[in-house]
Amino acid sequence: MLYDVALKISYTYEAQADAGRHLLRLVPMDIPGEQRLIAGALDVLPKPAEWLNRTDFFGNPVVEIAFDAPHGDLIFKVVARVERLATVAAFDVSPRPADLAREIDAYRGLDPRAPHHFTAPSARAPGNIEIADYARQATAEAGTARAAVEALGLALHRDMRYDPEATTVETSAAEAFAYRHGVCQDFSHVMITGLRAIGIPAGYVSGFLRTIPPKGKPRLEGADAMHAWVMAWCGFETGWLEYDPTNAMWVGTDHIVIARGRDYYDVAPVKGIMRTSGAQTSEQSVDVKPLG
Amino acid sequence: MTKKGGAALELSRSRLLAAYRPVPGAPDELIGVDGTIRPVWADFIEHLSALGEEELAVRRARADQHLRDAGVFFRQYGAQDTAERDWPLSHMPVLIDEAEWAGIEAGLVERANLLEAVVADLYGENRLVADGHLPAALVASNPEWLRPLVGVTPRSGHFLHFVAFDIGRGPQGQWWVLGDRTQAPSGAGFALENRIATSRVYSDLYARARVHRLAGFFRSFRDALQGQRAGRRGQVGILTPGPLNDTYFEHAFIARYLGFTLLEGEDLTVSEGRLMVRTVAGLKPVSVLWRRLDATWADPLELAEGSRIGTAGLVAAVRAGGVTMVNALGSGILETRAFLAFMPRLSEVLTGKPLGMPNIATWWCGEDSVRDYVKANAERLAVGAALSTRMPFEYDDVHVVAGEFRSGEKGSFDAWLDAEGPHLIAQEAVTCSTTPAFAGDRLEPRPMSLRVFLARTPDGWHAMPGGFARIGGSSDSAMLSMQRGGSVADVWVISDRPVAAESMLQTGPSSLQRMEHGVLPSRAADNLYWLGRYVERTEHMMRLLRAYNVRLAEADLADSPLLGVLEEQLRGFGVDPEEGIPQAVLDALGAAVGSSGRVRDRLSIDGWMALSDLDKTLRRFALTVKPGNDAARAMNVLLRKMAGFSGLVQENMYRFTGWRFLNLGKSLERALAMTSVLASCADPQAPEGSFDLAIEAGDSVMTHRRRYPVAANRATVVDLLALDPLNPRSIIYQLDAMDEHISFLPGNEPHQPMSDLRRAMMKTRTEVAVHTPETLDTDALYELWGHIAGLSDELSATYLR
Repeated sequence: MLYDVALKISYTYEAQADAGRHLLRLVPMDIPGEQRLIAGALDVLPKPAEWLNRTDFFGNPVVEIAFDAPHGDLIFKVVARVERLATVAAFDVSPRPADLAREIDAYRGLDPRAPHHFTAPSARAPGNIEIADYARQATAEAGTARAAVEALGLALHRDMRYDPEATTVETSAAEAFAYRHGVCQDFSHVMITGLRAIGIPAGYVSGFLRTIPPKGKPRLEGADAMHAWVMAWCGFETGWLEYDPTNAMWVGTDHIVIARGRDYYDVAPVKGIMRTSGAQTSEQSVDVKPLG
Repeated sequence: MTKKGGAALELSRSRLLAAYRPVPGAPDELIGVDGTIRPVWADFIEHLSALGEEELAVRRARADQHLRDAGVFFRQYGAQDTAERDWPLSHMPVLIDEAEWAGIEAGLVERANLLEAVVADLYGENRLVADGHLPAALVASNPEWLRPLVGVTPRSGHFLHFVAFDIGRGPQGQWWVLGDRTQAPSGAGFALENRIATSRVYSDLYARARVHRLAGFFRSFRDALQGQRAGRRGQVGILTPGPLNDTYFEHAFIARYLGFTLLEGEDLTVSEGRLMVRTVAGLKPVSVLWRRLDATWADPLELAEGSRIGTAGLVAAVRAGGVTMVNALGSGILETRAFLAFMPRLSEVLTGKPLGMPNIATWWCGEDSVRDYVKANAERLAVGAALSTRMPFEYDDVHVVAGEFRSGEKGSFDAWLDAEGPHLIAQEAVTCSTTPAFAGDRLEPRPMSLRVFLARTPDGWHAMPGGFARIGGSSDSAMLSMQRGGSVADVWVISDRPVAAESMLQTGPSSLQRMEHGVLPSRAADNLYWLGRYVERTEHMMRLLRAYNVRLAEADLADSPLLGVLEEQLRGFGVDPEEGIPQAVLDALGAAVGSSGRVRDRLSIDGWMALSDLDKTLRRFALTVKPGNDAARAMNVLLRKMAGFSGLVQENMYRFTGWRFLNLGKSLERALAMTSVLASCADPQAPEGSFDLAIEAGDSVMTHRRRYPVAANRATVVDLLALDPLNPRSIIYQLDAMDEHISFLPGNEPHQPMSDLRRAMMKTRTEVAVHTPETLDTDALYELWGHIAGLSDELSATYLR
């Protein structure tokens, strides 16, 4: 599946923003066998004083920019052409959830895809007893790790209400879960917390969804902004699977990956530190057009 | 001291040691297995016995006085609040024989090299995990394994430059490592203070006791840090979390002692991969940063989200090779308690040898076989958090001792261990040797551990010879922590040959060498400026309050309109004169103390003491003082104390750039206050007596009497308090002073284009200079007030951001 992606994020500042430094994870990744970045460009206005391209620990491309003088509104624009290849394997060959621990122990090494990074609570997905109990109940019947992932995703989709107004980027997983509402970020953090609690290594994926659904299918939630979903390690044989709890679906050719990490903090599209006095507002527009 | 005869000496010694009974099962530093005093202590005990109780008491008090005068404190975290505590010095040093010390040093140098190899692997190839020598979970789940630093090789080639080890002597007399401190070990500066204070107690003995000196260690480390600067350029900074940190005193002390700049995260910024300090003279490069800040807080962009004490981009600067961090960000992972379980194996793997000095026996409970062992031996083990970086005797995160839960019921020990295994470690319960400490005027045995500091120099690791031991508050080994009532002692490494006296100063033919003036960070300048403003504001409030309360006390004046004028002035500062000591005065002085606390490395200890003393007195008065005579008298006392502080600033403070900012603050505040007083007291509508009031508020009663043959009138008052350049209370005098200070600030060198600040300064100064008492009317005074206030904004924009 071939897509043309267009993203624009703009920040408006009440007072002039003082010099600052930002990390950007905005351009879709090139992932051999899953996703090809045919062309991609990032544009920043005003022009930063420093610009550095690098790759972070988890293999995500990062752009680090810095401004050395006060500036007004800040605009990030991305255009990209992406080919999405991934499909989910037809057969479930993952181990029983209880046997997963042994497979994790047997995995030696700390490469970026090693399950070890994704077992412990992390900054934005700290442990939570309520979510842990919920996850145990939701997956009680699941015979395999992969079935457990799907069971928890389905349960969350059933019990949590999608509500773009209810939460913000700062809302904790615990709070979103307590009220059973939120957006893709909240669904994902709750699901990650739940999966880790039942021993399944889980991480956070940021990306895009196709904006226009295929004929006869409903429009997906979260398509008008950047999206997020969950990745889960289901043993040596199966490896990493990705599941979108907001839409209760395995990730397929409708999803385009930007970055992967333990939680939102590892992959935040724009992370910035600046000295500014006034408030700021931001706007985001996303267009993901299938080319056939 | 008179020399005592042999019999008297013997009596005195037996009194001293009357209560000294070594604890069974623990070796004692003073008394050997044969029950006699160990040779290394013999001279010392004899000397101590000869001193006599009274003399000793006097000397111990002298040491405490030194610590108080030097302002040595640490911050203690309590359940409700934190407070500055006096340094808990145990007046008995711990004596260690030079030969034994050499063994300790050799073992720890080996360990430091081993730790360097381990951390290099953890941030490099990760062979130790891949080959199964370290469990992946202990690294991947470890909050001190900082992923943004993985794959980053330090510019210096080394991760570790300054480390400390806590060691204790086990039951068989051998030394054990209790914990590795690699993050940002504290205590080296306190060790220096321990030494100074302790050597005062035993001054005559210390001079001939062949005790290894500490200064050489610091000198070689200072030189090593300076040698780490890229191209010998850029400065060496010490990064502190700030005054609220428990060991801030030490950060300021070390910075002063070594001549490095004390920096906070907000002083720093990163530009083109280089670390820069914001100074009053613009951005200046920092090439080496000795951090006393835990790494996770060091960069809010890449490390702990939301840290307010870090520097955005610090990791980028490290990655770009723009700065050497001492120690490298991420080195803190080596403090992980669970790593102690693997060190024996890692030593074999990495060096082919067993550990030179063993560490306390530790088991990681992530494996079935280990858990079985721990269950079987629970009664002699303590079980705690695997990833903790605390010391074994800091029990906060130890959950089980000898099979008993320390708090709360967690069900059966075995089931808990199986469920939580990978998160737990077991350690042999610590028993340390005992050493003498004073209980009253007798000696008692107390548990002891040493903290040994090692610094990397071009010719390898050097250990600081002694200086720091923790002494338990009771005979229980668990009570070693300072936060729990323990104390700290000096450690003397005793040679059998004379030792060289060492000092920080270079010796040699051309030994007169002035240290270059460090550049003043903008934050420090800002704090000094506001210290000046708040001190002056407090003083002004006190003068107004004195005038108010004196008049209040005189019954016939109690409802005079003059009181109204004063009240209006006071209310302008938020002061409610109906309170004896108004809250606003406490707040203003509190703000001054707060500002000074953030530049403690730049103030003299006397200055700091004078200000603290003033603050304490004010707070004490606030409890009892009533308006009227009582308050007027209190203000007299306070104003005299205030003059003490101001005098110290004027007479004793070196004329560095910071002093200029402090005085700019004082002058500007004083000019504003006088302008405001004149606008209200020299107004034609002002009630009778206002002129005298203005003169009184300006502390110029005598001068007025001498200068003008007439009673005060508007012309004489405005002339004296606004336009007379010789009166230190006049507006123009303050503006002249400000102009002179500004001429010494960066950017105002001769033959430079005039800066905006200088231009505004000269305009305002000229504005006043061309006035006559007639033209400087109330409207003109209000206008002037606005212009002076504008100078503060201009000054901030130019230097203080």
